[in-house]
Amino acid sequence: QGTNVGFGASEHDTSQPVEVSADSLKVNQDDGTAIYSGNVVIVQGQMRLAAAEVIVIFNKDRSAIDMLKASGGVTLVSGPDAAEAQNADYAVETGNVVMTGNVLLTQGTNAATAERMDLNLETGQANLSGRVTTILQPAKN
Amino acid sequence: CGFTPAYGPSGGAGVLQSQVRLTDPVGRDGYLLNRRLEERLGRGGPSARYAMKVTPIVTQSGMGSTSRGLTTRFQLLGKAKFLMTDPVTADVLAEGEVQSFTGYSATGTTVATLAAERDARQRLMTILADMVVDRLLVAASGLPS
Amino acid sequence: QTENQAALLVADRVLVESDNRLIAEGKVEAFQDGVRLTASRIVYDRDADSLTIEGPIRLSDSNGNLLIADSADLDIELRNGLLRGARLVLDEQLQLASVQARRVEGRYTQMSKVAITSCQVCGEDTPLWQIRARNVVHDEEAKQIYIDEAQLRILDVPVFYLPHLRLPDPTLTRARGFLIPEILSSTLLGTGVRMPYFVPLGDHADITFAPYLSPVTRTIEARYRHAFRTGTVSFDTAISRDTVQRDTTRAYLFGEGAFDLRNDFKLTFDIEAVNDRSYLSDYNYSDKDRLDSELRIERVRPDEYITGALIHYESLRANESNATLPTIVGNVEYERRFLPAIGGELRYDVTAHSHFRYSETDVDGRDVTRLNAGVTYLNRWTLPAGIRAGFTGSVWADHVNTVQDSTADAMITQLTPQAAVEVRWPWVRNDGQGGGMLLEPVAQIGWTGGTRPNIANDESTRVELDEANLLSLSRFPAPDRRERGWVGAAGIRWMRYAPAGWSAGLTLGRIWRDTADAEFSRSSGLMGETSDWLLAMHFTGANGLDLVARGLLDNAGRFAKAEIRGVWDYKRLGLEASYVLQSADPAVARNRALSEWTMDATYQLAENWTGSTLWRYDIVDNRLDRAGVGLDYSNECIDVGFSVSRRFASSINIEPTTNYGLTVALKGFSTGGSAKEYRRTCR
Repeated sequence: QGTNVGFGASEHDTSQPVEVSADSLKVNQDDGTAIYSGNVVIVQGQMRLAAAEVIVIFNKDRSAIDMLKASGGVTLVSGPDAAEAQNADYAVETGNVVMTGNVLLTQGTNAATAERMDLNLETGQANLSGRVTTILQPAKN
Repeated sequence: CGFTPAYGPSGGAGVLQSQVRLTDPVGRDGYLLNRRLEERLGRGGPSARYAMKVTPIVTQSGMGSTSRGLTTRFQLLGKAKFLMTDPVTADVLAEGEVQSFTGYSATGTTVATLAAERDARQRLMTILADMVVDRLLVAASGLPS
Repeated sequence: QTENQAALLVADRVLVESDNRLIAEGKVEAFQDGVRLTASRIVYDRDADSLTIEGPIRLSDSNGNLLIADSADLDIELRNGLLRGARLVLDEQLQLASVQARRVEGRYTQMSKVAITSCQVCGEDTPLWQIRARNVVHDEEAKQIYIDEAQLRILDVPVFYLPHLRLPDPTLTRARGFLIPEILSSTLLGTGVRMPYFVPLGDHADITFAPYLSPVTRTIEARYRHAFRTGTVSFDTAISRDTVQRDTTRAYLFGEGAFDLRNDFKLTFDIEAVNDRSYLSDYNYSDKDRLDSELRIERVRPDEYITGALIHYESLRANESNATLPTIVGNVEYERRFLPAIGGELRYDVTAHSHFRYSETDVDGRDVTRLNAGVTYLNRWTLPAGIRAGFTGSVWADHVNTVQDSTADAMITQLTPQAAVEVRWPWVRNDGQGGGMLLEPVAQIGWTGGTRPNIANDESTRVELDEANLLSLSRFPAPDRRERGWVGAAGIRWMRYAPAGWSAGLTLGRIWRDTADAEFSRSSGLMGETSDWLLAMHFTGANGLDLVARGLLDNAGRFAKAEIRGVWDYKRLGLEASYVLQSADPAVARNRALSEWTMDATYQLAENWTGSTLWRYDIVDNRLDRAGVGLDYSNECIDVGFSVSRRFASSINIEPTTNYGLTVALKGFSTGGSAKEYRRTCR
């Protein structure tokens, strides 16, 4: 499509492998979910997501990660842009991230706060809602 | 019929005697008005029971015009707002406005008109002061002592 | 260029579409360095640093200007850009509507095809007045409105055209420029136009020139005002050449000032000069018939009063010559009050007075200088049964020096002892909340020693009797005359005050003396051994009526003197009336009785219409002295006043003249008065 990506590094590929590191891991056998807690860091390509606790939900045949549910204060960094919030749900398949609770988005010199942000890592489109406040720093021409 | 001597036992006016402290006068009008009030009520010292501020406002109007356009009579219209407060709590104890006028003729010589005007102004202050005292005497029995 | 400040954007939803585009929607607000903008949608293009805004847009800045538009393209600092379907509202009263407005540097607003008005516009109906213009620039910093090809329209009918027009914006005070022109017309000076032009001179002074031109006169009026740190001065002057007095220049100067000096002294001066006796009345500058220029220093403290004045008089009266009038007067008064330990008050008075007449002829050219010093002791006591007794005792030393008057002693010195005992017995009834009734009989017996010296009576020829000097040791206004011998006075005072209802007062009194005083003339009410009855009353009704009256009733039951003043403010009527009666009394140069009433009324005819009228009628001469009628229309955007008044008096100095006045003030500019009080609403 050629439009430069709004949020994050350009051309984020959601099919890249996801590495997860954390202080501890607890696996739940019966529903097949894994709970990482303590300084959890998830890296996928140029995207990096840090949180206090992340629940990893696999698809039925446990062949790929379906959903990452991060909570306890989340920071998502991609290229020059970063976003913080209380919680973030990352549907790896579609590349959609839903961040809720004191969302703070910083893009270069511009910053914005909102109640909720719907972000698509592939298109870079971010939808903030709930009395959004944006600070537009004029470019230093 | 409810009447009693103001300075008698149940008249209440005794509480005013030398207990009203006036704010400093402004201009000759204020001086003459305060002088008459202190003549009637005595002067309240630093620990007086009541504090009072009386502000006179005087305007003049010409009357008595003759067919040759002379103004032969002038009237000084006086209003005085009075505000009595408790010096400690600043509660308003008595307030109001009194008004009257005095007249003087301008058919005499220049110095006769000058003397008549200054005397009319002094008389106006005396009348306004006496009217304020009347209002205080009537309200006296209701004042905190 | 101030460093660019960050702009704050708040909205319900923000879509970060791409690196370069951000879309804010839903109750969008933008704040930038005192400027606030609200809109329904804003698209922020980061590369171009521009905002594309969809309305309804409201852009308001720190000094109260408001810009409303349908849509706009602005820079991120909201300082530059284009607004479509724009309406600029200045200080909530003046509206400039245009198809398109351009904002430049956050300071200028350029508008094209503009309609300016401060009238309330409801729907599509045309405003009462509007100024149509090809283009308009509003300079926010200089607070000026520059208008090109301005066309004034009344009810959409073009009435006036100006290629260029500059008007001050409503928030500008002390703007240099033309004030409201007046059309004045009088039977004496014809119809003319007065165009005041205001020039501020720095922050503390200003001058207003007002050329006044008519077929009869070419006049320039000027007012100069200057405020200093410790005082202010103001001068009014006018210079004319007219056909009323051919080939002479007529001029007047009135000036006044007041200054605070060291330790509480105040200096005031007042100058009144004119170079021809009928100028002030012909041009309606002043109806004074005697001019007094005075220089005075005064200090007032609770226990001390000091004043010193030098006064110069000039009479404009046809029947008076300035040579035989005291035209130079000097006056010094000093009073000091003490409260001795034994109670009561001790009062020291010193007065010095001198008046000078140019004429050297005997008696007519008399000059008098007097020095008076006195010490007075007064005290009051409460006796049993609530009787209030008062004592006043004083000794006066008078020294009078008379020049050029063979009928009076050249110099006299006299000591005058005085004493008086006063008794008051106030009875009260307290009805609560400060209301109630008072009944107070009063009486006084006084004695003044010494016999009247043979000196002229220049100052005490006009004596008045009222409630203030019913009880008094001397009712003469100046020390060149004193009442002598035994004088008794008695009266009764009644007063009712009700905070909610009506209040009233009555005073009745009379004076008795052992020997009649020849100096008292008939109209003073003090002639003979028993004075006229003094009758004084006041009434304040709950319905806005206020009446004060005083009269002197002679023994034959006729009023030798009566004065009544009434004010009645009731719903839409504002009435002020006064009546004065004075019996004929040649001793005070009143050969004919004076009986005159004056009435001054305003009536609110309709919501915006006020009628006013003024009448003065002399009953004795059965003559209308002056009459006037006025009509005023005022709404939120215009003030039109029309008045006609006529003075019938005539003498060699005064012409009977009728004055017509028409003023039209467009509200909303800082000269036209504020348009905020009259807010109409669209029905």
